[in-house]
Amino acid sequence: MSDQDNPEEPQDQSQGLIRRFLDTPPDNVGKTVTVALGLCLVASMVVSAAAVSLRPLQERNAALDKQVNIVEVAGLYEPGMDVATAFESFEPHVLELATGEFTDQFDAYEFDDRAAASDVTLSAPLDDDPAGIGRQADYVTVYVLRDDAGALDKVILPVYGYGLWSTLYGFIALEEDGNTIYGLQFYEHAETPGLGAEVDNPRWKALWRGKKLRDDEGDLEINVGKSVTAAGPEYHVDALSGATLTSRGVDNLVRFWMSEQGFEPFLERVREGEI
Amino acid sequence: MGLRSFFDRIEPNFVHGGKYEKYFPIYEMVESFLFTPKTVTTVAPHARSYIDMKRIMTYVVIATIPCILFGLYNVGLQSNMAIQEFGPSGWRAGLIGALGIGFNPNNPLANMLHGLTYFLPIYIVTLVAGGIWEVVFATVRRHEVNEGFLVTSMLYTLILPASTPLWQVALGISFGVVIGKEVFGGTGKNFLNPALVGRAFLYFAYPAYMSGDTIWTPVDGFSGATALAVTASEGVGQLGAYGITWWDAFIGTIQGCIGETSTLACLIGLGFLLFTKIANYRMVVGCLAGMIGFSLLLNLVGSDTNPAFATPWYWHLVMGGYAFGLVFMVTEPVSGSHTNVGRYIYGALIGFMVVMIRVVNPAFPEGMMLAILFGNVFAPLIDYFVVQANIRRRARRV
Amino acid sequence: MAQTYRDMLVDPMVDNNPITLQVLGICSALAVTSSLKVALVMAIAVTLVTAFSSMFISALRSQIPSSIRIIVQMIIIASLVIVVDQALKAYAYEISKTLSVFVGLIITNCIVMGRAEAFAMKNPPIDSFIDGIGNGLGYGLILMMVGFIRELFGSGSLFGITIMPTVNNGGWYVPNGLLLLPPSAFFVIGLLIWGFRTWKPAQVEEREYRIQTVEAH
Repeated sequence: MSDQDNPEEPQDQSQGLIRRFLDTPPDNVGKTVTVALGLCLVASMVVSAAAVSLRPLQERNAALDKQVNIVEVAGLYEPGMDVATAFESFEPHVLELATGEFTDQFDAYEFDDRAAASDVTLSAPLDDDPAGIGRQADYVTVYVLRDDAGALDKVILPVYGYGLWSTLYGFIALEEDGNTIYGLQFYEHAETPGLGAEVDNPRWKALWRGKKLRDDEGDLEINVGKSVTAAGPEYHVDALSGATLTSRGVDNLVRFWMSEQGFEPFLERVREGEI
Repeated sequence: MGLRSFFDRIEPNFVHGGKYEKYFPIYEMVESFLFTPKTVTTVAPHARSYIDMKRIMTYVVIATIPCILFGLYNVGLQSNMAIQEFGPSGWRAGLIGALGIGFNPNNPLANMLHGLTYFLPIYIVTLVAGGIWEVVFATVRRHEVNEGFLVTSMLYTLILPASTPLWQVALGISFGVVIGKEVFGGTGKNFLNPALVGRAFLYFAYPAYMSGDTIWTPVDGFSGATALAVTASEGVGQLGAYGITWWDAFIGTIQGCIGETSTLACLIGLGFLLFTKIANYRMVVGCLAGMIGFSLLLNLVGSDTNPAFATPWYWHLVMGGYAFGLVFMVTEPVSGSHTNVGRYIYGALIGFMVVMIRVVNPAFPEGMMLAILFGNVFAPLIDYFVVQANIRRRARRV
Repeated sequence: MAQTYRDMLVDPMVDNNPITLQVLGICSALAVTSSLKVALVMAIAVTLVTAFSSMFISALRSQIPSSIRIIVQMIIIASLVIVVDQALKAYAYEISKTLSVFVGLIITNCIVMGRAEAFAMKNPPIDSFIDGIGNGLGYGLILMMVGFIRELFGSGSLFGITIMPTVNNGGWYVPNGLLLLPPSAFFVIGLLIWGFRTWKPAQVEEREYRIQTVEAH
């Protein structure tokens, strides 16, 4: 763009339209409108060009971000690996919570769990709401991992619930028996750094591996707390030190999602080897 | 006397033009600690009063003595009771054992001595770490080291849990003295209470060491909820199940910070401070009224989900740091309001905030520290409005 | 030209630093300095936006009607910020998640607007570009210093690499949780300003009032 330091200089009339425009004093009304419109046009073109050209990359990133968590909770993640390829071994399914059956009503690759949870046609308000989530979706996306022979290896279930300051979103991975926890991982929360945010600490996450959800009578015994319950240590995960309320939130949300209100109908099918 | 003449002999080295002119503050500190200052104001106006800065500070320290003594006893008592179950651990227990004092919780002297092994290290570290900063600033700024620090260090020690690691004690008092006081110009210019600033720093920086169930009694393996934690999670009615009665909380034989547990000891201190007119009764009245009024209101409102709503005011009074804060922090003259009407409002604001934080905020079972700091921040504003209202009222009279 | 390019680059680092002297752009400095990596990306983003917006505004300055000049500046700045935000989402997704709204808030960062209004409207494009880089770097310098202190003592690491292993991970260092909370940046920036003004007493502001002293002798 040309640099016009002194517009007041006498001008040669023979020059073109652009020259005349540039020479018009900036405070002329017509010019003000033209500059405003022109600038808006250029700016909107730049912005939309950037948005459109970068969209595919951004979408891949957002998808990858979720996939990393799923791959990680299943214990397959290594730094620098190709997550998209590793993710191909997971089968996504949209699950109807109440029945525990997979449904083909939605495309599992496109289904948006968060949107479904706030969609009045796809969710219902909760009366008994220990996880503090308000509404629960009728359908959620779950991921199934099979070994090379095609037998069930792990199921990865989305869980979320309220901690101290925020809703914690995460995944829980269960072994093929539908009762042994392989891992629990949160990918989004805003708990206190150094206290509640220690839910991300690998040492604490490692405590979950091998814990059992239900005892032999089928009672839900898994808990997060300060001391081991009567059910025994294989059902107990130590609370985070100094983060009583976040720990209680995790306890509530895990117990809620593993109960009859959550994935129990589905887990029953897993235990019976129907998946 | 010998000591006096020693000071007289070395004094010329420190005064203006002397060899060690730079170190005058240190000389002055030691001298005025030992002798009454001999300098008096030489030009008008003169205001004579039996009370000076030094006397105020000394009186406050005297007023904390019941809290110190009871704190020593209670820290020892709680530790010795826990040791009966979990066994002794750490160098302090080793020292007590080596001296043959024993861990009998029924022996008051053994308790006191055991408590002393916690109190003394914390107090000494506080004095040394905070003292270094005081001397550094006094030397750089060429003013005298102020006795106010004696009060700050004592209050700071009394509001820490006995299990606080000593390096944290040093860090906290450094933050309190530097950020809470010196950056604003030193004693008399601090708008926050330095002891509380240091305590708040530790609370937010090392929450795992400042809150929870395991830190209040410094014995490995011990875990027990404080009265406040129980009321916050299960309601005041459940305190009995933990063996805590109102009288326990009033006398102070419960878990808590070193000097905070005994409401009785604090009230003795309050009596002394009110009698000597160091503490202004308006702040105390305001703070009590705010606390009682708001907790009665919450009792009335009630809540199905939050049992703490039902906590009666007489429990708020004896739990946590309320009584200690009321007596020694709310009444602190520099960081509080300076107008008489303002003092009532200032006290009431703190009383209201304590209950608010204790009951409504899910993360903090105790609110006295934060409420007082909150009140400190608002004190100048309260004064401003009181003064403005006064000006308007008088203007109407014209 | 009163200032050389070198002066224009170096001056905003210490002598005329946008954060410590002018106390601008504090809001984002609080939010993005809990780790160095995020602080670095934010510093680069602000530097680029300031430099390019100053350059464009300077190039257009004789054509910008004064009645809508702030709006014109805002449109240019906002467009650049959106481009930066989109690029971050595409190429540095993790970091853009942490930065969240603060990239968008660069639009309202007083440093960008301040340079556009105070410098770019009166100087040629190249000068404005360099001035923008200089101020962005001055902002970035403080961000990095605050980020260094907060990450090292708050998490025991630098750029995510463990320097002092923390207790929760089996090490010895007890991390200072206060430094992970945004208000701690106030303390750190305050102490930095204190340090800067002790080093360069010329930066100390004139008192608005004077306490009267009475001679006692």
